[in-house]
Amino acid sequence: MFEELQTFAQNLLEGIPVLTLMIFLPLLGVGLIFFFGRSMKLIRTISLLFSGIPLILGILLFVAFSWGNALPAGETFADPQFYEEYEWIPSLGVSYVVGVDGISLPLLLLTPLLTFLAILFSWDVKRRPKEYFGLILLMQVGITGVFVLLDYLIFYVFWEIVLIPMYFLIGIWGGPNKDYAAIKFFIYTHVASLVMLLAIMAIYFNAGATTFNMIELGESAPGFSKAFQIIAFGALLFGFGVKMPMVPFHTWLPDAHVEAPTAGSVLLAGLLLKMGGYGLIRVAIPTLPEGASYLAPLMVVIGVVSILYAAIVCLAQKDLKKMVAYSSVSHMGFVMVGFATLGQVGIVAGVFMMFAHSLVTAVLFMTCGVVQHHCGTRMIPKLGGISERMPKLAAIMTTGFLASLGLPGLVIFAAEFMVFWTIFNNWGLWLFLPILSVAITAAYYLWALQRSMFGPLTEEIETEQIDDANWFESAPMAVLIALIALFGIFPAIILHRISDAVTIILRSFGVG
Amino acid sequence: MTATTEYFGVLMPQIILLIFALVCPALDLWLKMRRGIAYWAIIGLAIVGIIETLALIPDTRDLLSFLFWTEPPQTEVFDIGAFSRIFTIVFVFVGGLVALASPDFIKKEKNHGEYYALLLIAVTGMSFVATAADLIVIFIGLEIAGISCYALTGFQKSVKRSTEAAMKYFIVGGFSSAITLFGISLIYGAGGSTNLVELGTLLTLDSELHAIALLGIALLIVGLGFKIAAVPFHMWAPDVYEGAPTTITTFLAAGSKNMGVAAMFKIFLIALLAIKADWDVAIAIIAIVTMSVGNLIAIQQTSVKRMLAYSSIAQAGYILIALPVASEYAVAGGILHVITHTAMKGGAFIVIAAMAIAGLGERLKDFDGLNRRSPFLAFSMAIFVLSLAGIPPLAGFYSKFVLFSGAIFGASEPGGSGWLVWLAVAGILNSALSLFYYARIIKSMYMHETPNKSRIVIPPLIKVAILIALIATIFIGLYPQPFIDGAMGAAHALNELLPFGR
Repeated sequence: MFEELQTFAQNLLEGIPVLTLMIFLPLLGVGLIFFFGRSMKLIRTISLLFSGIPLILGILLFVAFSWGNALPAGETFADPQFYEEYEWIPSLGVSYVVGVDGISLPLLLLTPLLTFLAILFSWDVKRRPKEYFGLILLMQVGITGVFVLLDYLIFYVFWEIVLIPMYFLIGIWGGPNKDYAAIKFFIYTHVASLVMLLAIMAIYFNAGATTFNMIELGESAPGFSKAFQIIAFGALLFGFGVKMPMVPFHTWLPDAHVEAPTAGSVLLAGLLLKMGGYGLIRVAIPTLPEGASYLAPLMVVIGVVSILYAAIVCLAQKDLKKMVAYSSVSHMGFVMVGFATLGQVGIVAGVFMMFAHSLVTAVLFMTCGVVQHHCGTRMIPKLGGISERMPKLAAIMTTGFLASLGLPGLVIFAAEFMVFWTIFNNWGLWLFLPILSVAITAAYYLWALQRSMFGPLTEEIETEQIDDANWFESAPMAVLIALIALFGIFPAIILHRISDAVTIILRSFGVG
Repeated sequence: MTATTEYFGVLMPQIILLIFALVCPALDLWLKMRRGIAYWAIIGLAIVGIIETLALIPDTRDLLSFLFWTEPPQTEVFDIGAFSRIFTIVFVFVGGLVALASPDFIKKEKNHGEYYALLLIAVTGMSFVATAADLIVIFIGLEIAGISCYALTGFQKSVKRSTEAAMKYFIVGGFSSAITLFGISLIYGAGGSTNLVELGTLLTLDSELHAIALLGIALLIVGLGFKIAAVPFHMWAPDVYEGAPTTITTFLAAGSKNMGVAAMFKIFLIALLAIKADWDVAIAIIAIVTMSVGNLIAIQQTSVKRMLAYSSIAQAGYILIALPVASEYAVAGGILHVITHTAMKGGAFIVIAAMAIAGLGERLKDFDGLNRRSPFLAFSMAIFVLSLAGIPPLAGFYSKFVLFSGAIFGASEPGGSGWLVWLAVAGILNSALSLFYYARIIKSMYMHETPNKSRIVIPPLIKVAILIALIATIFIGLYPQPFIDGAMGAAHALNELLPFGR
């Protein structure tokens, strides 16, 4: 039955420039909102529509994506599907090249999904709605582009396009300390991008300055000297590491999250952080294999420190949202460690972890948003016993927290388990360090749950009228919870599709 | 065709500009026109711009034959080619923007005829510099443009700070001209010619008069450094930019500065290239110091006009990267940055002019909540400053990209000097630094509230000027190919002048 479905989807997408549409349809939406967005209702409908159509295209593309075929021999770079190529700046060797492989597929599916749900969740945003929804759609353009573009220069262009809407989202709709958070976010990530750009330029010139095409540059990788690879990989690791973010360059993240509006947080944690991880595995590791091998120990150390340090910091948080923000740093540490193994299981686990973390963290930030909206505060000491007033929210939040702490059967568990397995295979009992985080994670989540959701109502809350989550708040969360369970039980749906691309990437290390 | 008409082709753009300039006062005196003079000036600039553009593109060059136009012959004092054409187009573009923005800005002043006449003469002088193949012609061009600019800076006679700025500019400008001229005379003494191409072969590192040439180079760096406001010769610029009528500030920042750049490119990349070892480190240091100081001081400014003045000092630092690298690719980056800088910095200053017309000041506070009061102004300003910061996909990103990657390329080439890479690193770090103050402008406009929520009315002409700069900034960003090609062509043309290649 599945194969019929796949053929059906393939026939449907036949001859459609589906990736280009997925990138630029939201841009059309931005234009429509800008010129015709006269009423609240119209603005919301347009933005739902123009994130919804890419979502449908994304689902079709996910189904149509072919996998498990015999891999072409000798290729060292994944064969992208739904490939499109047009010349753009021939004198610099820049072309518009898009394509999907197993690594970009899960993230490409997530992009319209989370944007769509974030827009639905923001149904009652009344402050400057035109700009708000326009910026979210613009961000979708940028993120989609980052995940499918296979030309370094345009990849960088889209990478930077993402920053500006997020800067405005935090700066206009943010909390009390938004000015500081917005500027900090902008400067940190922009500096990181520039370092990345420097490395990209160096790769471009070292390969003969003829093309920015990632596939062609990936093929010229064996020609790079080892010293160059180490320096360039270090620069890329910094550039992508700040974005992920990795300790010690993570400090922009909690600030940005605490101040950002809920939809902004969902997209920030769900998609923007993944750009860092995606960059590592798409750009840095396959293009500079020797550099990656040399610096892998550093990546492991950074990853493990991020896992443990962020988990411990979570214990001390009083703000629910800040806690969730730090837990993202901890989870992205798993991605880093997974990649650092430079092995099939580790990299697949890293990519899957990014996918899993996006789903879970989106729910968590949404629950934080609901608590903020309905109770007026997110401070754990001021909350307490709100499960009595908000049973729906309590159920979702409990599921979300359990998923995030790695409950078997839910999606994070599958990813974490694979990372642990590969750590054990590589480094044996050093596993105890990262596995320690499981206990800490369980501790901070359950403790926070206990204090905020259950127990007696606190005085601050008791007198106030508190409603449960609205339909537009619970619907997106319910969808995400369903997906968390689905992919927790059948992780293979994603894992199979990732696997081929990783095998091909590992060929540049002489494996496979 | 006789020789005379052929030579007419060499200076046709300048002659047209001069004719249009000389008619301006007449329009004022006898026809009592005010706005009309601006249109007249714009027509003149547009004609020259169109001719130069048509002549630049090989496919359209033949269209000009109906003007009895032929491919101008190469002469000893003028060099017509892609380089001169692109710079002339840039100067004409700035002149056009300023002429569009001016009628509403100087409405309350008298002497409109002189204003536009001086503007056109200044453009003529600038295009002379771009066209020159001889040190004397370069100097004459610098002076023609310089003197017009001094007068224009002091145009608002009733405004104290305008007069003060003009005085400062005049003294510093005169001083720097004298130093430049002294430098030129020493170079002439050392090389025995004023022709750039001949100097390129005459000046060598092992000549007897090398020490004199060295002194000449030092003086030229100082003199031209004043013109482009490179640190440490930049002190005059913020005061003059702040004091001058904002339209003229636009002209100084986007036009006059680029004239200095054109002069430097011509002198250093043709006449002095053979003795590059004498000056490359010095200019590299000046470039790095200029961009860093410009950006660091810009951060502290509370007046946006002054902030942009310092930012244009920093931009001169970026452009100077092209000189020590001196490869065709890097020079193309420098020329491209001249083009994009013109659109984005010119646009930004015209936005400030528009705000002045609306009765708003130029402090950062005056930009608070601008998005509510005039979405168009706020959006344009946001695009201009993001482009200045080098955020893709806007024009400034590509020019910085070509420029900085040119430095990396120069360093990684076989036989290239490795230290050039630090120019790129400094440029990139500075771009990040500059984002800090550019973001503050955006923050004021979009994130701060203002008690005064009344809409701002912008006169249509100045709106058109902003719109043109805006479209240029976005268009170059989305489709940079022709502009990169043009800049490469200009760099190549400069290269071809050399008798022995680079």
